[in-house]
Amino acid sequence: MTAIWKRELKSYYYSPIAYVFMGVILFLFGVYFWQVVMSGSSYYMTQVYSIMFTWCMLFLPALTMKTFSEERKNKTDQALLTAPVSVTSIVWGKFLSAFCVYLFTMLITLIPVFIIGAFSDPSWQLIFGNIVATLLYGAAIIAIGVFISSLTESQIVALVATVGVSILLMLVDSFSGLVDNVVFQTIVNWISFQSRYTPFTNGIFNVSSVVFFLSVVVVFNFLTARKLESRRWS
Amino acid sequence: MIEVKNLTKRYGSNVAIDHVSFSVDEGTIVGFLGPNGAGKSTTMNIITGYLSASEGSVTVSGHSILDEPSEVKKLIGYLPEMPPLYMDMTVKEYLNFMYDLKKVTIPREKHIQEICSLVKIKDVYNRLIANLSKGYKQRVGIAQALLGNPPVLILDEPTVGLDPKQIIEIRNLIKNLGRNHTVVLSSHILAEVQAVCERILIINKGVIVADGTPDKLSHDLTSDHRLVARIEGEEREVLHNLRTIKNVVEVQSFGEKEPGVYEYSIEGAPEKDLRRDLFACCTRFGTPILALRNSDLSLEDVFLRLTSDTYVPKALQQPAVTAAPEAADSETKGGDQA
Repeated sequence: MTAIWKRELKSYYYSPIAYVFMGVILFLFGVYFWQVVMSGSSYYMTQVYSIMFTWCMLFLPALTMKTFSEERKNKTDQALLTAPVSVTSIVWGKFLSAFCVYLFTMLITLIPVFIIGAFSDPSWQLIFGNIVATLLYGAAIIAIGVFISSLTESQIVALVATVGVSILLMLVDSFSGLVDNVVFQTIVNWISFQSRYTPFTNGIFNVSSVVFFLSVVVVFNFLTARKLESRRWS
Repeated sequence: MIEVKNLTKRYGSNVAIDHVSFSVDEGTIVGFLGPNGAGKSTTMNIITGYLSASEGSVTVSGHSILDEPSEVKKLIGYLPEMPPLYMDMTVKEYLNFMYDLKKVTIPREKHIQEICSLVKIKDVYNRLIANLSKGYKQRVGIAQALLGNPPVLILDEPTVGLDPKQIIEIRNLIKNLGRNHTVVLSSHILAEVQAVCERILIINKGVIVADGTPDKLSHDLTSDHRLVARIEGEEREVLHNLRTIKNVVEVQSFGEKEPGVYEYSIEGAPEKDLRRDLFACCTRFGTPILALRNSDLSLEDVFLRLTSDTYVPKALQQPAVTAAPEAADSETKGGDQA
């Protein structure tokens, strides 16, 4: 697993992908940071993070689109699948490397937060909760993206499909009003990333949401492993 | 070492390989020969655990690929048809990555350096794989298969894309490796298999149609006694005369090769030497023989025969579908063309 994790992480930084991703996310972060904190003279950082939710959901698929589709297209998966490593560890290695790029990006966003903290007294618990939530939904969408990437040989298809899914996961609670059915509404609210994430920005550390996001990661990594396994049989 | 039993792979209704069985002993070099799409790569992919079989079993050193995939994968070094190279890495990084991936325990630097000098990629060691020529990429692929010194090497068309000099180098390399490794290589180039392998498996349309040493294969199929002769004289007449010779089964004209001289293929019954009778016949009718040679099938002919559409493999005529031309007839004079 570490071998694959290291290789993938390196390949993110050898190619422009990681730089473009980090550049765009940090630029947007900077813009909203300026809008909220500088122009608004506020130290309410959580607002910045909650705006970033949408952007991260939209851009994270760029990190995951190539994970398995590229391997399959270049037939490098033959090296991985004929090596004495389990499919599960291949999947987790890939997942963790994409997650690390995201993690680094989010750690960089802490720099201005700490600077603000040096001159004011923000609620650190709230910021901590926000960072955790940000990483959690990121991990979830990365796992989903990795899974979608394993379904196709085309990076573009993987990208578009994953962006589609993440938009759906963001907007899904607006559908709940459309159908007058309690069961439907419950389900929709249950899977909505938005309604899972928002409480964190209000300072509520919701354990069930933490479990939800972690479960999404585990389930989708499991599905990816099964998908790779099943390709042997088809 | 490798035991393959009744291996079948279906893609939907399409049968890629059909009840293939063979075994490979330790320390032998076996060549898998067949036209494109015959099922060579599929078989290799199954042995290495990349694909799974629809039916049948593969065991390597007593470990089943289904039950103990990791154990089997540790024993095998695999060069797929397309070397699995990451274009964004240098040779050095790639080999180090594969070293980690394969969980090799041999001292790293020394081992990698040894392999690099073995396949002669030292001078591109620090270059990006994307910028290497096809030949170098192929060699990096071979290097990758050798990492960890696995007892079994499976090489799918190892010399594709190499120049003639490199081909000879790689063939020699494989021959040397064959001394202490079990090697299975595939190719659709006969000369290659002939030069390198101790045993040849010819596979066509998913079925093994022949199995044996290169000599034996051309011998088995040339057991019919055939002559090719150039005889002066009118074609129709000569044909007629030749057919009167005792034991002649078939005569065929290849057309006029020199003015007034035609070439004929004369096939006799097995184990019958036709040359004297032929000579006598031609003297009697006053049509001089200008050239005479044995027409043993080269391995190339064997291959073409076995893989032609009209050929029904002996294997299919027997109840057990394991090709065994050992059962094939007789110890005729045959061709040592190898």
